[in-house]
Amino acid sequence: MHIMEGYLPLNWCIIWFVISIIVVAFGLYQIKKIVDETPESKALLAVSGAFMFVLSSLKLPSVTGSCSHPCGNGLGAALFGPAVTAVLATIVLIFQALLLAHGGLTTLGANIFSMGIVGPLVAWIVYKGLTKAGISSTIAIFFAAFLGDLLTYVATSFQLALAFPAPNFGAALTAFLTIFAVTQVPLAIGEGILTVIIWDRLKAYKPKLLDKLGALAPNEA
Amino acid sequence: MKFDMDYIAHHNELTETNPYLKLFLTIFLLVLTLALDNLYFDVFIFIVMSVVILAIAKINYRSYFKFLSIPMAFLVITCIFLMLFFGKGEVIYETGIFGIVITTDSLHYAVYTFMRVFGCLPCLGFLALTTPIAKILNCLRNMKVPRIMIEIALLMYNTIFIFLNEIDTMQKAQNTRLGYHSYWSSFKSLGALISTIFLRSLDKSETLQFALDSRGYTGELPVYEPRKKEN
Repeated sequence: MHIMEGYLPLNWCIIWFVISIIVVAFGLYQIKKIVDETPESKALLAVSGAFMFVLSSLKLPSVTGSCSHPCGNGLGAALFGPAVTAVLATIVLIFQALLLAHGGLTTLGANIFSMGIVGPLVAWIVYKGLTKAGISSTIAIFFAAFLGDLLTYVATSFQLALAFPAPNFGAALTAFLTIFAVTQVPLAIGEGILTVIIWDRLKAYKPKLLDKLGALAPNEA
Repeated sequence: MKFDMDYIAHHNELTETNPYLKLFLTIFLLVLTLALDNLYFDVFIFIVMSVVILAIAKINYRSYFKFLSIPMAFLVITCIFLMLFFGKGEVIYETGIFGIVITTDSLHYAVYTFMRVFGCLPCLGFLALTTPIAKILNCLRNMKVPRIMIEIALLMYNTIFIFLNEIDTMQKAQNTRLGYHSYWSSFKSLGALISTIFLRSLDKSETLQFALDSRGYTGELPVYEPRKKEN
């Protein structure tokens, strides 16, 4: 769930914009470096971004009856790293706002922060940490996708609790976290399982590509 | 069709209007609505923008309501949630369930948030429903947003629709083979679908790169901007 247009007061919109712009600028710098080295990666980045966007139009089967879509930021982060994923997520969020009325322009900064920065960063750290520890990449990708998804919603709860600190910040955070934990934990598990299925097929069909992106565990490469 | 918003953006009375004007007007109105945070102004802006969208841009009222309906449904749920669980101060209504009460504070939060979103949604709708994405990106390019981001966004926009068609075909194929029959099989089907799309997307990106290279792509996609018809 994205924070919708107009949901946040102006001061918080500005704060999240400032934070997000710094990170996205860093991501752009990284992309520039990659593209300068290998010019043909631009098409790959664009197509991956389109892939992320298309993912959000698919429905994820969910236990609780609520429906949600996979956000794919775990997969993106494991493949391309968090900085690049942040830039792709930014474009995806703009498209979602303008093509699907999903999210919004004033809350773009806040949404980039939770979906494009916190989620991928956590997923990337978890993935790299687990694969370095010698755990197979299939298990690592499950936890990366699961935690990346979950932490996205924890970040959203933080943002909402900061914007609506009533009666105080702690109580508001607890309330938002309870709601998200109930609705999002099953979805996050779903996304984890889905990502594992995708990952398995990628490993079976394009192991060289994964190796080239540096996305495989050291003992599998 | 999922993407009728894109279709509408290309086919309405305001498509050819200066995109800078539309972009700045939208951003200005959004910021103004947020900054004023005034209930009357929210209603005012909602009415004005709705009139602009329906009467001036001549967008079908059904499409417009469809655009509003999903965010509005979410909005009502979240505002009820805000009303019940937040705030302190004077209790004005007791629900009698688990001691959940509505207080003056929480009511204030809920009403103001509701009205803020209520005012902002038509502003977003104005931009989203009247301006094609390619034009917005073109504006952003001229406003010194980093080139590379615009290029990736443009390439992405072109690819999205190809993907959607493929997904549609594949999903129908899976459906006819009972791919989404049970809970577990729908997981498997969806996993197969997404990984196939991903693998295809890799091939596609290669093809795209070759196609661009063979036409002398130097990192810039010049877009043809038709001159305004004079009449």
